[in-house]
Amino acid sequence: MSEKPYVSVENISKWYPYKGDKLINHEKKFIKANDDINLSIQKGEILGVIGESGCGKSTLGKLLTRLETPTAGDCLINGVSTKELIKNDMKAFRRSVQIIFQNPFDTFTPRDTIEQILLRPLKNHNIGNSKEERRKLCIERLEEGGLVPGEDIMKRYPHELSGGQLQRISIIRAMLLDPEFIVADEPVSMLDVSVRAEIINMLLDLAKLHNTAVMFISHDIALTRYISDNIAVMYLGKVVEYGKADEVVNNPGHPYTKALISNCASIDPDDEREEISITGEPPTPLDPGPGCYFAPRCFMACEKCLKEYPDKKNLSDTHWITCMNAE
Amino acid sequence: MKEILRVEDLNVTYQTKSKSIYAVRNAAFTINQGDSMGVVGESGSGKSTLAMAVLRLHDEKYTEITGRAVFDEDRDLISMSQTDMDELRWKEISVVFQRAMNSLSPVHRIRQQVEDIYRIHEPKASREEIRERMISLLKLVNLPERVYDLYPHEMSGGMLQRTAIAISLLHNPKLIVFDEATTALDVVTQGQILKEIVEMEKTLNMTRIMITHDMSVVAESCNKIAVMYAGELLETGMVKDIFKKPCHPYTQGLIKSFPALKGGHHGKLTSIPGNLPDLSVSCKGCIFADRCDRAEKKCFEEKPSYKAMQNGRNVACHFAEEM
Ligand SMILES: Nc1ncnc2c1ncn2[C@@H]1O[C@H](COP(=O)(O)OP(=O)(O)O)[C@@H](O)[C@H]1O
Ligand SMILES: Nc1ncnc2c1ncn2[C@@H]1O[C@H](COP(=O)(O)OP(=O)(O)O)[C@@H](O)[C@H]1O
Ligand code: SF4
Ligand SMILES: [Mg+2]
Ligand SMILES: [Mg+2]
Repeated sequence: MSEKPYVSVENISKWYPYKGDKLINHEKKFIKANDDINLSIQKGEILGVIGESGCGKSTLGKLLTRLETPTAGDCLINGVSTKELIKNDMKAFRRSVQIIFQNPFDTFTPRDTIEQILLRPLKNHNIGNSKEERRKLCIERLEEGGLVPGEDIMKRYPHELSGGQLQRISIIRAMLLDPEFIVADEPVSMLDVSVRAEIINMLLDLAKLHNTAVMFISHDIALTRYISDNIAVMYLGKVVEYGKADEVVNNPGHPYTKALISNCASIDPDDEREEISITGEPPTPLDPGPGCYFAPRCFMACEKCLKEYPDKKNLSDTHWITCMNAE
Repeated sequence: MKEILRVEDLNVTYQTKSKSIYAVRNAAFTINQGDSMGVVGESGSGKSTLAMAVLRLHDEKYTEITGRAVFDEDRDLISMSQTDMDELRWKEISVVFQRAMNSLSPVHRIRQQVEDIYRIHEPKASREEIRERMISLLKLVNLPERVYDLYPHEMSGGMLQRTAIAISLLHNPKLIVFDEATTALDVVTQGQILKEIVEMEKTLNMTRIMITHDMSVVAESCNKIAVMYAGELLETGMVKDIFKKPCHPYTQGLIKSFPALKGGHHGKLTSIPGNLPDLSVSCKGCIFADRCDRAEKKCFEEKPSYKAMQNGRNVACHFAEEM
């Protein structure tokens, strides 16, 4: 990859002070929700982020969209720090970087009609010359997204629509602003399987049309492989494996990814997977380390794993892991 | 092969103030000892209603249930008294729901709750005896002994769910019903629990109904499947047959809306456009017709009857043989 990355995550961390029994030795403890993460996303690329709940996926999404401020490190867009971008022109930043959340019912104010919900950001960002023009644009986009008749949908309130319809509207609203970077945090996890594909395909089509960079966060590995170009696997606030989507799922390198894939249910009874079991569930990332964070549960762990955090190891030009034992 | 549950022409209707909701209609299937049957379908299709009818958990003032559900070859669960049903609960039939924490009391240790449940059927059982039994079950679901003395709030979601499964096995029931029991869990936890269950079943010769919206959970852990839509079972049969070649358009649609984990991409992910029909109005033709891409005139006018196909498969579609 010679191209300069569009989104560039550089050593980003988010540590939350731990409020529990912190006074053992008077040492301050931290929940390391994200810990020294490096990633990049090109324009038009879809990066999938997978891992069990609590591994820090949502935190990463919030850091990149600056809904949270990193404890250390930065995220650059087109080579410029998002810290600068937001300081210089908050409005422009909020327009070019969008986030879509899991629960569409939490996304919108229940008292607003879909019309108000869609028109407000357009007006704020001076898109369209008149209210009529803005309404026309919204109706057009609604109907392109299968929400017909658009006129009628515009008059409704969120509770009068299904979860699937609302989630389509949240994607439409995000895309109305022609963003250059979108974080989609579990956008279909709450929806029925029968409508998932519609929403996923809509997001993919729109992103392709506008050459948007997308970070797709999900715990659904099959779905993430299906839609992503690349996948990053997270464990306790760290990215432990990164590579092309097929590479990571078909030939996982990191023992954690191997365990994850091995335990993932598949619709295809012919899918062959290695039998790998790990015990327990991921602990809270409360002062993890100093060794590999996965070591306590890892079937490949050795003495050294408990002492040193492993370096990045390249498995191919496009595929790396952080594990000292896996090949 | 011994029949554990034979459901015949089961209908469940909720009576609300304004209307009757026909939530399960003419359901029929048979489960033999050792079978594990997945019941799948989108939310609102009547999966839980079906299970609750068999378990007699409905508020019977507002729910009308007709038909039969013959348990263990001789007892009809639908017509028996609640007192007789109480005799079966936990002992011969048990159930695990999605949120185990809701069925466990937060103010009592697991130990106390297990003792109470155990003593419903074995009032004289000693503490040691119960402890021993539960600890052997905890082992089966990969939990440490110390769980026995914990409060629910001291456990993670995965531990709670495993505990609920262990409790459901206390009396070695003939039939266990899981209603989305692994849905809220993480990939790894769910995967491991499914493996544990499948292993356990082999050892104990247990029979299971697995209600889920996730086709891959069925592919992974069941030998039979019943595909439910708007209160009706549209296709029932063996997992290995149906996943290979689904014969009902709805089953086909469901399978195509899940991407495979590995292997080649099987084309663009598709969905099933449209919504569930209103369950309070009766439908003349095929219940799936207005969402079906194969529907013809006949489908809207005439209800398809069940076509019996190979290996006990039943399909409610006029064109089942042509699929
Ligand atoms: N505001 C916060 N304060 C303290 N801890 C937090 C906060 N937000 C998240 N965490 C913790 O950070 C970790 C990562 O959380 P999250 O990013 O939500 O993970 P995921 O989205 O992968 O489930 C979890 O242990 C979570 O409890
Ligand atoms: N107690 C009830 N009273 C009235 N309608 C109900 C009741 N419980 C469920 N329903 C309705 O019955 C239908 C089937 O629901 P349910 O069995 O919960 O479906 P599933 O478990 O497949 O999601 C739905 O339309 C639901 O709204
Ligand atoms: S009977 Fe007709 S409408 Fe119903 S599933 Fe078959 S083809 Fe589709
Ligand atoms: Mg999250
Ligand atoms: Mg249900």
